[in-house]
Amino acid sequence: MEAKTGVFLCDCGRSLKNIDFTLLRGRVARLPGVVFIDLRSDLCLKEGLEALSAAVALQREGIDRVVIAACSPLARGETLRNALEEAGLAPNLIAWANLREQCSWAHDGDVTPKALSLIEMALGKARLLQPLKKAQIPVEQKVLIIGGGFSGLKAALELSRLGMGATLVEKGPQLGGRLREIESLYAGQASPGAMVSSLAQCALESGIEALTSAEVIGVEGTAGDFRVEIERDGERLRRTFGAIILAPGYEAEALPGAELKSKNIIPSSDFFKVLSQEQPPTRLAFILDVSDEHSRLPTLSALNNALMAKERLGSEVYVFAKNLKVDTEGAEKLYREARDKGVVFLKFEGKPRVVCDDGRVRIEARDVLLGEEVALDCDLLVMEEKALPAAKLASTLNLGTDPRGFYQEVNPHLFPIFSGRKGVYLVGSCRADLDFDRAAMDAAGAALEAYKLLSQGEVEVDRVRVDPDKCRVCLTCVRVCPHGAIGVVHAKPEKESARIYDLACDACGMCVAICPAKAIGYEGYDDDQILAEIEAVGA
Amino acid sequence: MEASSLVIGGGVAGMAAAVSLADSGVQVHLVEREPFIGGRVSLFSCKATDRCATCGVCLLPPMLSKTGTSRQLSLLTRSTLVGLTRRNGGFRAELLRRPRYVDPDRCTSCGVCLGVCPTGAIQKPFGEMAPSAYFIDEGKCLHFKGEGCVLCQERCPARAVAFDNGSKLELDVGAIIVATGFEPFEAGEKGSLGYGRYPKVLTGPDLESMFRREGALKLPGGKQPKDIAFIQCVGSRDESRGSGYCSQVCCKYAIRFARLIKHQDPEAKVTIFYIDLQTAGKGFAEFFEECQGVIRFARGVPVEVNEAPGDRLRVRVEDFAQGRQLEEVFDLVVLSTGITPRKDSWGLAKVLGINLDEYGFFESRDGIETNVEGVFLAGTCQGPRDIPGSIAHGLAAAERAVPFLGKVRREARR
Repeated sequence: MEAKTGVFLCDCGRSLKNIDFTLLRGRVARLPGVVFIDLRSDLCLKEGLEALSAAVALQREGIDRVVIAACSPLARGETLRNALEEAGLAPNLIAWANLREQCSWAHDGDVTPKALSLIEMALGKARLLQPLKKAQIPVEQKVLIIGGGFSGLKAALELSRLGMGATLVEKGPQLGGRLREIESLYAGQASPGAMVSSLAQCALESGIEALTSAEVIGVEGTAGDFRVEIERDGERLRRTFGAIILAPGYEAEALPGAELKSKNIIPSSDFFKVLSQEQPPTRLAFILDVSDEHSRLPTLSALNNALMAKERLGSEVYVFAKNLKVDTEGAEKLYREARDKGVVFLKFEGKPRVVCDDGRVRIEARDVLLGEEVALDCDLLVMEEKALPAAKLASTLNLGTDPRGFYQEVNPHLFPIFSGRKGVYLVGSCRADLDFDRAAMDAAGAALEAYKLLSQGEVEVDRVRVDPDKCRVCLTCVRVCPHGAIGVVHAKPEKESARIYDLACDACGMCVAICPAKAIGYEGYDDDQILAEIEAVGA
Repeated sequence: MEASSLVIGGGVAGMAAAVSLADSGVQVHLVEREPFIGGRVSLFSCKATDRCATCGVCLLPPMLSKTGTSRQLSLLTRSTLVGLTRRNGGFRAELLRRPRYVDPDRCTSCGVCLGVCPTGAIQKPFGEMAPSAYFIDEGKCLHFKGEGCVLCQERCPARAVAFDNGSKLELDVGAIIVATGFEPFEAGEKGSLGYGRYPKVLTGPDLESMFRREGALKLPGGKQPKDIAFIQCVGSRDESRGSGYCSQVCCKYAIRFARLIKHQDPEAKVTIFYIDLQTAGKGFAEFFEECQGVIRFARGVPVEVNEAPGDRLRVRVEDFAQGRQLEEVFDLVVLSTGITPRKDSWGLAKVLGINLDEYGFFESRDGIETNVEGVFLAGTCQGPRDIPGSIAHGLAAAERAVPFLGKVRREARR
């Protein structure tokens, strides 16, 4: 059936003086397939929009495609698209001729011929546009959270507030993660151990399912329908989830690069044991910036621990550091308090040396403020811990990792919680070194994204689609898809074919470009549509 | 009744919150004091050399166009919140709308008015600015000087110009997200550093706008500076000024600018005076390592900047070890000024009934929730954070508002 196109010209309040709109209107009206034409000065204003929707709604001359020949679709496109959709036209059945930014404003002198060419191109494309269907895609309204530490628990609670079900999978025997063992923090904050216990308690009470001593060993499927295999006590469970939040935290390397084994050198996560020792150390030192100079977590833990040692044990306390990372809310305040309470901070350059001598530990470093070598003997040395990646599921889920091995966000600035795959979100220390506040922001953001994904109504479907008759099942598209959105199904009883899952697809077009059989189409950018545009200008 | 929400402030945090809420199906009113949304970031410059410096400034245009075109979102520019009362579990907000004189719903940005305005009072939105509608600056417009000029009004083909008065608007909203941002520290307050006295003492924000305008380091009067010093922690980590916190952004912008200056002029020497370098953050470690050989990092905070012969500047630094002062001479000194609370925070806090913290930022229990149920915080109005941090904060605030709006809706139905 021949498409019947309505063309709407707009001269932007008669301001586009170098186009002869009367002439243009006459020429366009004679072009094949044009059943209706209107010339206005106010297409994007209330009056113009009313005229536009009336013409389409009334099926004037049976309009089933629209060409808008006006300003850039980036300027008022959304307004026009909305008006046409309300009038009953599928919003993708519109082709645009940008007569303002790309024609009138771009040139001096009469540009009526170019304007005509642009309209001819748009008409060529409009003729071949196919309406996109909208449909409700069935999804499993449940979220899998991997990791039962602070970030995972926070995400679970946020989801329950939004009324979304969730299952926590924790590899340890108990929820709470790294914080569970830390009894107290300085500055009167609630004990981290108590805080995560109460988070876990709240999560369980609000109906979150928790699987402890469990690990995810396999994930198949796509957003809305992830089929997950979980191993728990030697038993295999199969579950389906709509979205996955990754919050596995990090692995800690306790004594990075320490050749010396001594009971007087401990990793910072063991510091809480010192607090309950019968014989507290009289002189205590912390070292930072040895294994990783660019992490803020060691500074935060050393400031807390140094203050606790001062307050509870009354020890002499020294902190060796290159740069204290105080770019976290409250950190500068702790730093000042530590100095006020008598903690000595030594800024070193180069690498400090640690020597063990029966029962004593000696630290030698070049102090930058004094400009000379200093040596300090102490009873106990607390070493910073280096955060190592825990991105175990990267290959299972086809996710990228950064140069240090942590999960890579799509764009760490704009979309910090988005992985490369729809429906998979990255939260907390598995993507970067984040303090409590920053991790909590991640958890909240990811929860809302999962909620939006799984509770949306109808979405456009089949924008990118496979023609099962042309598909040779070579799997090129499956391999190239960065979003894991393509699978292979029996499209017909006798024939297998690739299939694109709408919820997981990002419409990037890579599969369209690479398919050797030209079996994948992208509505609006199909080869024949683009060729029609080129042919329209006589190429 | 559908509970809508009010977002105050159209910077990156406010936009992130507003778009996220709108995507969740909530009707959003985004209130902005200025004629255009975009906030502080719209004054900042890209800091890329031949490689991206991941400063995040380029995140603004896509956010602007998304905010400007979202169907669930209405932009109320040149508006401020002046009153608030509780109603049905939510709020009734009273807004003062100052006129733009060009109706954004009618302006087609055709540019006819620009050609007829005799004084340049009518201003054009450039790039992706939202709303993409013109605006009249009363200060320059002849109409407001009693000259009765109505040229633009007569010539506007869309009849979008109207010399109307401000109006009040009342809105019933379920939740409020406050994202009013910050003010850069006023460097003049640290008199000894010479800002405002010597034209070659600039601040970080000055450098941002210079690079945004010129794309390079260009001083008025011509001579290209060869010796450049950045002074960190100006107005940050300074308990004596009530700003005993780290501003979180200055080390990074200084290092990014230093690399850019070195890239544009390899002969230039750049020194950064610092207390502690804040190099944590995704990908920043690699960037910093790369800069270490090219930029000189000097520990110590300069106490005084004076004139030196040959139109140069003498910077005095305390040398703690030797108990004396060192002096170095530079062509240009940049003060890396930090983030401070807005001076008008107190007025808004009073209208909202929320508290200020010890530094003057809005106070929050957990970074988002305030002492008033239904009022949430996002971005630098709560405390210093960088662009990505502000976006993440905006998304998190939106997440908190969604279940609260559900509650308001249920109560209203009862």
